[in-house]
Amino acid sequence: MYEEPYRWVEAVGNRRQYLDEQFKQGSPVVALTYDGGILLTTVSKGTPKLYEIYDRLALGGMGHPTDLEKLRFSLLEMAHVEGFNRSPSDVTGPRLIKYGIAPVIKQAFEEVYKAPFIVRILVAELGQKPEKDALLTINYDGTFEEVTGHAVLAATSAIQAKMLAYLKEQQQATLSLEQALNLALRAWAIGSMAQQQDEADQQAEPKPAVSGAGSSASAIPSSNALIEHVRSLAGERTIECAVLERQAPGSSKYRPLKQADLSRLLPAALQSIVAN
Amino acid sequence: MGMQGDFFQLLKEQGYTLGSSGQVGAGQALTNATTILAFKYRDGVLVAGDRRATAGNMVMYDRTDKVLEIDRHSVMAIAGVPATAYEMVRVLEHSFKYYRRTQLQELSFDGKLRAVSKLLKENVPAALAGTGAVVPVFAGYDLEQGSAKIFFYDILGAEFEGVEYAVSGSGSPTIRGILHYLNTWGEQPLNALPEEQAMVQALRLLTSAAEFDSATGGVNREASLYPVIKLISGAGVQTVPDATLKPLYESQVVRYV
Repeated sequence: MYEEPYRWVEAVGNRRQYLDEQFKQGSPVVALTYDGGILLTTVSKGTPKLYEIYDRLALGGMGHPTDLEKLRFSLLEMAHVEGFNRSPSDVTGPRLIKYGIAPVIKQAFEEVYKAPFIVRILVAELGQKPEKDALLTINYDGTFEEVTGHAVLAATSAIQAKMLAYLKEQQQATLSLEQALNLALRAWAIGSMAQQQDEADQQAEPKPAVSGAGSSASAIPSSNALIEHVRSLAGERTIECAVLERQAPGSSKYRPLKQADLSRLLPAALQSIVAN
Repeated sequence: MGMQGDFFQLLKEQGYTLGSSGQVGAGQALTNATTILAFKYRDGVLVAGDRRATAGNMVMYDRTDKVLEIDRHSVMAIAGVPATAYEMVRVLEHSFKYYRRTQLQELSFDGKLRAVSKLLKENVPAALAGTGAVVPVFAGYDLEQGSAKIFFYDILGAEFEGVEYAVSGSGSPTIRGILHYLNTWGEQPLNALPEEQAMVQALRLLTSAAEFDSATGGVNREASLYPVIKLISGAGVQTVPDATLKPLYESQVVRYV
């Protein structure tokens, strides 16, 4: 029945609805540049969401762990074969995304008889110079975007916009790693709180759209409240951070931040939770 | 499947073959005569090599780096046909990274040794044909066991552990005897030498090798050419700069007779 164009459009529409539903419980991912490179942060539950792809490439993901694994493997495979056959400097984020996984994700999304990838992916690329740093995001339908400065993955596009607005307002020209981590966690909290709010709104019975406008325009919580939000969730989740460091020795620039790094870098209110 | 994290397998699936098999006795011998050595010192393992590359009795190049860093904790020193050796190093470098990134853990030291062995086995036809023999020394720091290790190989891929030291290349017979002598009757065994003394010994050994082997470069002071010396300890691989080697060479290696 999907042969009819109208049905197909409808099926793709259903798919969007279904996929949007899948990200409701996901943990946002925040990436931003700081004075020494790029920082990726999330507060994950269970499976890790930040990975090393190549010498200067890192991956952050949201969605189904198995789908993420599949795409992570194709990225790793493409990157390493290309790096070996040509050279490590020819392995670039945009090529991997645009010609590598984006078409695959789009095809899976549009083939309505088959299962789509339940993923949103962020690829951070550390340039040879700071101005060459790039952040790429790709959605479950294969649309991708390349930005600089900061990028996020979030449950819905409204939440994404909210997090980006916060980052835009707060990001300074140069951040130390410590400041960047603090900001990233606050942005993460904005996303996480908005998700909780959405869920609460839904449970409180769908009201007429007019009254919904009030909650979406609610003021941005203070920095302390945001950090407190992260702290309240830290029992069941783990703060996951990784950096691409320009000055790191050797060719691999990716480094996950370990407990010792975190207890030094995290805002004071959060240091106690990683210490134990 | 990539799930095993085997990069070489992945390359082979894409039609890659290491080196060319060549034909037996085709053309002249392409061997790269040289001297490379590795021994354990107090803090880890020292790996050194001269810098000369030869083809027959021609000196092709005198700035070759035959001591190649594969990852933060392992080094391969190469004797043999450079084209194949460099290619092997490239494969290994990518293999170890690929394993770490896919499996989310470091490849074990034993796993790394197997990888070297496998490549050499893959290369046997070329080695026997005389167009691609490689006889490497693989040294590194095993982080799990907290100890330095040295292995050397024959062209067929058999792996031998060099308990205290290992040598390879055309200049190696000369210094093998010296290493044995030093380690057995020297003032202190090699593995007790502090860093600076270890570097001095390495410079002396390579100078001795150059004395008796025309294919080994030794030190060329006029051109400021010093051997490549790398130190591997728990902290990782460190390349000794020429600025450090120069005074050591001048004060403790040169003898004006």
